[in-house]
Amino acid sequence: MILGHLGRSRQMALLAAGVLLGREKESALAHAVSCRRCRVELEELRALVSLVERDPLRDGEPSVPLAVLTRSVEREVERILVPGGRPRGWLVVVPAAAAVLVVGLLVPALIARFRPAPPAAVSTEALDRLERNLVREHAARYLTEAGDVLVAVAATSVDCDPPAGRVDLGPVPEQSRDLLARRALLVEADREAVASARAVLDDVERALREVAELPSCVRRRDLEHLRREVDRRQLLMRIRLMTRELEG
Amino acid sequence: MEPQQDKPGSDRELMARLGAGDKGALAPLMERHYRRLYRLALSYLRQPDDALDTVQEAFVKAWQNAARWDGSAEAGPWLSRIAINLSIDRWRRNRRRQATFTPLAEDDHEGALGNGEPPPDRGIRERELRDHLSCALDALPERQRAVVVLRHYQDMSLAEIATTLGMSLGTVKSSLHRALHRMRERLREVRP
Repeated sequence: MILGHLGRSRQMALLAAGVLLGREKESALAHAVSCRRCRVELEELRALVSLVERDPLRDGEPSVPLAVLTRSVEREVERILVPGGRPRGWLVVVPAAAAVLVVGLLVPALIARFRPAPPAAVSTEALDRLERNLVREHAARYLTEAGDVLVAVAATSVDCDPPAGRVDLGPVPEQSRDLLARRALLVEADREAVASARAVLDDVERALREVAELPSCVRRRDLEHLRREVDRRQLLMRIRLMTRELEG
Repeated sequence: MEPQQDKPGSDRELMARLGAGDKGALAPLMERHYRRLYRLALSYLRQPDDALDTVQEAFVKAWQNAARWDGSAEAGPWLSRIAINLSIDRWRRNRRRQATFTPLAEDDHEGALGNGEPPPDRGIRERELRDHLSCALDALPERQRAVVVLRHYQDMSLAEIATTLGMSLGTVKSSLHRALHRMRERLREVRP
């Protein structure tokens, strides 16, 4: 069958990607030999694939030890296990498993026994320190993102419905909802580690909840109320200061 | 056919334990897969912090869904599927956020790429390569980006990619073909 250029172009890409086999591969290679245009294309695509394969991120290593990451996941799992916060998946767990969970909830000491011991090379204190730093970094990022949301609220001025006195907030309420949804993972993992930021975090959460409830096309006076509240609490300045403190 | 036995310490056994609520299975499962999932998320998201958060979320999600895990499937691809879907979600969120909040650093970044100076050392060359590839990957829609990452960073076969992303084989092929051409065009612009 004679392929059009699009078909040949597709063949060259798949050949460069190393996914053609057997007769398909032979046919594509034979064509590349006889067609200068396709040969050039194949060489360029192979150069691209070679660049991708030299990407330093391919061999990226996590910046925190596995033990810290494991503890962080376990902590989140424990948090979810609190009654009322249980994931829906557990509704289908067999009764025996449910019994194990109940025991786990009632006897915290049992939970501790399930925890894997950290590797001997890293002390518990060092792990605690690393974990604490990780939690503080997460909190700093949460505050930075929250600050972005509040700055967007403060800067919004485009009318979406001038006669009704409404301005366009665009995707900001949705971003606020999204940030709130991730809040638990970012700042609730270890409340002690971010104890000094608690007051700011609480005020930020209140403000984000207000933003999250706004429509995209919001009444100017509702926005003004929110802006005044952010100003009154000096929230943007406090976010900046606390972010710096958390980042050390 | 005889029912498949789960070998002690195997992925299947760990998943079965996790599904039954045994948190002790989490650590060995993470030990086996966290680095691979981290690299998958890092290749897709290009940000170490985002990648780390994604791995964390992936294991929490794995634990939440372990009871519903299909015991006949392999745990590795199942975890990859969770990680790539979470990466796609996070990338989408980041893009929305960037569209709203103009990052000042981006101008600096463009300036650094376009200054025409020869890179004085390997570290800078690597950073330049990484930035160029990030730029090329940014030109792709989220699914094409996922196909490229799974193929060229995770060395998956087309069939594995199709299973992981829930796409047909034909769609994977055309996505890969389109993605490579689009990346080539983008790289021509940033690396004339």
